[in-house]
Amino acid sequence: MANAISVETRHVGKSFGSVKALDDIDLRIGSGEFVALMGASGSGKTTLMNILSCLDTASSGEVWLDGVNAATLDEEGRREFRARHIGLVFQQFHLIPYLNALENVMLAQHYHSVTDETSARAALDKVGLGHRLDHLPSQLSGGEQQRVCIARAIVNQPPIIFADEPTGNLDEENENRVLEIFEKLHAQGHTIVMVTHNPLLGNRAGRIIHLQYGRIVEGVSVVAATKEIPVRAIARQVPASNASTMAMIESVAP
Amino acid sequence: MAAPDMRRIMLRRAISLRNQRVLVVFLALMAGAAIVNALASVYFDINIKMSSELRTFGANFYVGPGKEHTLPEKDFEAVLMAAPEGLINAGSPYLYGSARSELERVALAGVRFSQLGQLVPYWQVEGDWVGVDFDDRNAMIGRTLAGRLELKVNDRLTLVKDGEKRSLRIKGIIDAGDASDSLLFIGLPLAQAWLDKPHIISHAFFSLNNRAGEVEAFAGKLQAEHPDWSVRPIRKVSANEGEVLLKIQGLMGLISIVILLLSTLCVNTSLTAIVGERQKEFALQKAIGASTQSIVRQVLLETLSIAFLATCVGCLLGFLLAQVLGQTVFSSGISLRGVVIPITLALALGVALAAGVFPLRRIMRIQPASVLKGE
Repeated sequence: MANAISVETRHVGKSFGSVKALDDIDLRIGSGEFVALMGASGSGKTTLMNILSCLDTASSGEVWLDGVNAATLDEEGRREFRARHIGLVFQQFHLIPYLNALENVMLAQHYHSVTDETSARAALDKVGLGHRLDHLPSQLSGGEQQRVCIARAIVNQPPIIFADEPTGNLDEENENRVLEIFEKLHAQGHTIVMVTHNPLLGNRAGRIIHLQYGRIVEGVSVVAATKEIPVRAIARQVPASNASTMAMIESVAP
Repeated sequence: MAAPDMRRIMLRRAISLRNQRVLVVFLALMAGAAIVNALASVYFDINIKMSSELRTFGANFYVGPGKEHTLPEKDFEAVLMAAPEGLINAGSPYLYGSARSELERVALAGVRFSQLGQLVPYWQVEGDWVGVDFDDRNAMIGRTLAGRLELKVNDRLTLVKDGEKRSLRIKGIIDAGDASDSLLFIGLPLAQAWLDKPHIISHAFFSLNNRAGEVEAFAGKLQAEHPDWSVRPIRKVSANEGEVLLKIQGLMGLISIVILLLSTLCVNTSLTAIVGERQKEFALQKAIGASTQSIVRQVLLETLSIAFLATCVGCLLGFLLAQVLGQTVFSSGISLRGVVIPITLALALGVALAAGVFPLRRIMRIQPASVLKGE
């Protein structure tokens, strides 16, 4: 159960030109919560995740992370905040190809403070890769690469971990393994925010936040939230004045 | 356990991973450094080499009488004594006069034969040079005079004076393209004796090493010490020497600039490709907390390390290339000058930095959120 607020947004909006990707997002995630951000493609999950993880900035509103208003941080401030407070897990792992597993993990330490091989080894042990320290990413399977990515995310003991489709490129066995690691981290007190469009994964999180057309929606089932086809999302972006195009898109949408 | 140095690890691995791209950067910088090094070596050595080369155009210094018509031969020795060591390459007194031969009157010149090879190297000689100063049995004759007297090599020409005769063998026939073609050249002692002008000379020619305007300085000094002499550099050769030097040095500068520009373009293309390939890597580094400056520093360190190694190899190759140039153009080696290495290093590193400006700006603009988003 969450004790304090770890992540909070107030009326957050994000626009790309005339397109509104996020609109009036209000959410609160308690410290130690395991939350799944779900929604169809184009619903704004990744955009919200990027803002929450300080990789991007909101066009409007406030983003509070562990008591800090991220909206007030400049690029250097966000960089430092990411290094000290946030662990990032990516769908495509993004390991440095010429560094081995241990060095990839130590890279996060390098940008955080100083490298410590012992704790880097411990992080890899935690994800079951204590025996693959010297292997380059090209010598690891997809599941193993993702676990190195998780070890890199947790090595600095960040209070919040953001994972964007962490099992998107994995088979079922590795998907389970990664989820188990997240559940363990959650049990150890980490706040975890995971973006996924997989309802089965979403259900393993403590709470699900649904996004639809850039807004948080209440009372939408997991399946409904992820099944809306993109054509409707496209229709949303067409100006109302363009009635004929609108009608054409609506006609092909189920 | 000592903390591993991630900067060093990343530098080493990043360079060794992209062999082909790094090789292109390395070769471009090495070629640029080698050519700049070779040209700079020649540039700094060219004064000496050109001076040596242009000496083959002949005498470049004249000492003669001022108001009188002749000089005592000891004045020639005085010039030799007054010259700084190494300045005079060759020198000969000349005594002119006319003498009767059995055929007709001829104009003759008494010279030091041993010096002529360096004073008038452009003479085309049929037969042989007379090699000894005191040779009183052999002579050399100009092509025009030889033709008029119908003399060939090894023919004999007899000088006649008051019943006295001196038979001389024609050892060489000269094609000089100037007034020398109408002269008979004999040894100076014989000329002085035959013309009854003991220890007298008409004037003297010298071939001097013209390093850093030494000829002008020496002329000024001699003239000040001997106001009754006529002392002058033979300006045609000296001025040509300066102009040729300037032109050659300008050409080398131009070639260096073109080569450096080509190297810059080549390195820029490769660095841009490398940055493009590593875009996700840099985005990831930014995402996990690297500052833009630290990534720029990292790429600069990689580039400058490659540039440094390329320059070291380039300097070595450049020195060898300079030797080839020296042997081909001047028939002598080029000295290794200390100043060339820092110049080459500075230019090569400058090229690497200039080539890196646009790729580095691209790195600075990388937005991790847009580069790292899942596909």
